[in-house]
Amino acid sequence: MRRESLFWIGGAADSGRQPQAKRLLSPFFGPVLLLAAASSAAAAPEIRWLTEQTSVEVSGIETAGLPGADAPPEKWVAHFSVRTAGADFPAMLGRWSVEGKALRFTPRFLFSAGMSYEATWQPAEGKPVKSQHTVPKAAAAPAALVAYIFPGSDTVPENLLKFYLHFSAPMSGGGIYKFIHLRDDTGKEVELPFLELDEELWDREHQRLTLFIDPGRIKREVKPLEDIGPALVAGKQFTLVIDAAWLDAKGQHLLRSAEKNFTVTAPDRTPPDPKSWQLTPAAAGTKDPLRVTFSEPLDHALALRLITVAEVAGLAALDDQGRHWTFTPDIPWPGGPHRLVIQPELEDLAGNSIGKPFEVDLTGTDNKPQTPRRPVEIAFP
Amino acid sequence: MKTICTLACSCLALTLSHAADAPTGAKEGKAEFRSMGPLAFSPDGTLFVADTKSAAITALATGGEKADAKPVKIEDLDKKVAALLGTAPDQISLNDMAAHPLSHEIYLAVSRGRGPNATPVLLKADASGKITEVSLEKVKHSRAQLPDAPVDGVTGEGRRQSNPRMESITDIAFLEDRVLVAGLSNEEFSSTLRAIPYPFKTVEGGTSVEIYHGAHGKFETKSPVRTFVPFMVGKEPELLAAYTCTPLVRFPISALKPGAKIRGKTIAELGNRNRPLDMIVYNKGGKDFLLLANSARGIMKISTDGIEAAGAIEEPVSGGGAKGQAYDTIAGWTGVEQLDKFGDALAVVLRKTETGVMTLESLPLP
Repeated sequence: MRRESLFWIGGAADSGRQPQAKRLLSPFFGPVLLLAAASSAAAAPEIRWLTEQTSVEVSGIETAGLPGADAPPEKWVAHFSVRTAGADFPAMLGRWSVEGKALRFTPRFLFSAGMSYEATWQPAEGKPVKSQHTVPKAAAAPAALVAYIFPGSDTVPENLLKFYLHFSAPMSGGGIYKFIHLRDDTGKEVELPFLELDEELWDREHQRLTLFIDPGRIKREVKPLEDIGPALVAGKQFTLVIDAAWLDAKGQHLLRSAEKNFTVTAPDRTPPDPKSWQLTPAAAGTKDPLRVTFSEPLDHALALRLITVAEVAGLAALDDQGRHWTFTPDIPWPGGPHRLVIQPELEDLAGNSIGKPFEVDLTGTDNKPQTPRRPVEIAFP
Repeated sequence: MKTICTLACSCLALTLSHAADAPTGAKEGKAEFRSMGPLAFSPDGTLFVADTKSAAITALATGGEKADAKPVKIEDLDKKVAALLGTAPDQISLNDMAAHPLSHEIYLAVSRGRGPNATPVLLKADASGKITEVSLEKVKHSRAQLPDAPVDGVTGEGRRQSNPRMESITDIAFLEDRVLVAGLSNEEFSSTLRAIPYPFKTVEGGTSVEIYHGAHGKFETKSPVRTFVPFMVGKEPELLAAYTCTPLVRFPISALKPGAKIRGKTIAELGNRNRPLDMIVYNKGGKDFLLLANSARGIMKISTDGIEAAGAIEEPVSGGGAKGQAYDTIAGWTGVEQLDKFGDALAVVLRKTETGVMTLESLPLP
């Protein structure tokens, strides 16, 4: 816990945003980190950094001539400013308050771990008083690594649509594609194989990244792309490489790089067909899993989210090969019959969904609304 | 800004002396965001902010007095923003930029931090180069919640309560009485466009459509829309959408109906090894032009001459080349990552030099 949590109700967000709740300043926690004093004279201005990250104040000053409470920041900055050290850039956003005989600056965001700051008090006359402060770096945490890459199988169809990269800890986003490489069997890097989106398709925790193969680089049935060529070619081997230089959310490199080798097989243009799945129900009264074997590997995330058992709560799991799905009920199975419910958005590895291939022939489409697809249900005892 | 409204609604703005005080139906209070992505203004100065993490669009009253667009140039924008926020330049993201259509202040959607707890901050810059935070503590605003997961079933492997599906908002635009939102899921492959009636009356997510384009012959895919712009083709309001691998596609806004599968008409192939980044429409010398920023092919000024009658491109374009509407690549406009219209004669761009200097500046429309 950071020390500032003693000062604030509501707790500081990890993001560094200063809490908006009413502040309680304990008399027992006065200025705890004295970094600089202008001189030894009793009445001389003195800058104190209050705890490591929350605020800084200058005392021993005449507060009568300071701006009013509603004054714009530039009025305050002329008297007391805080900047990131080492560059002549704008002063930090924050708020100023007169606390007795001291002027306090509370930054809009907590001072960041590992950063250095400089506070400057400009008296009405004379030289400015400056103080620098470096916030200690955060304690080292175990470095993140690539925990899983899906699909987990050693073979993928030529028209594979996406990978999921799962990390062991939250990751840093922004400019991530330079850390991801696809190499062919000669070690040559495939040029621009992925759909590079500024938005970067993370989950909320930044632990799973969805990596689409650029649809423009997926080989088509009629004829291949004539210029840049497909990213993946049947019969060849490829390696997906994740660089260790990628930073986790704490700013640390990955523990090690990661590689996934796979062989490309013929394209898959057939939508998944639940009627061909094999179901092995569990006996009523047990908590044994329902086992479902798909006729082809399915998309990992979608198979976990879009296949459910009607009116039974439980936990779904999928093996690395994407073919063996299990569902373990929270409570022993009640008597049947039961229904396995499959949402039509469920996709295989090539993006074919229930009843609809990835590539659609829309010749003659007249932009009229189409009948929405319905969930597929399979009864089992 | 990735889009700008250019239709008849702009006439409305001329009758207003200053920016709108409040989005209709808005409440005053703290506007909460978990993220800030694409931005778009209505002609009266209501700012629409896309919040992907909350799957929501928020309309904010911005105030702002009417003022002419004055030339602006702010060098080292990323470093200056980082300094304001008390952090290192590599710890901020400039997610989008939009120019206020009346005050001509430049709004910036910024993230402080790069991890899952990155904090969104809304800033604005004026012609003097001063950058300030736009306070969201007490602001009139309204919000439309997008449908998040289409189906929220059981999730597995020890994370039962969380649904990792998110729908990234890749672009938004305001058009007359609705907000248009392009989105892309991080699970099922779907590129959707929603039209959400504004003022937001309910929390409905609007209409979802799938967009196809015909650049690859018989077979068509649901390619993601990268950036789009409303545009009048004759008397018909249409959307011009730029996809990855840069086909430029048009389709009528009237086709945005529930459950529709829209087959767009590819009117230009602008070359491969390239991503479209941002697009605006402007008028010069009585003619309309598109200005499209690209990742690898610079800024394209695209003529709209004959766009109404242009045939669709139905076959793959060989050699990675271009086909369709004529365009010029604007020399000198290098490294443009974002652009917006800035008054009648200027554009404002966010650009990065080869040495990595990030500059926000106005440039005369070509």
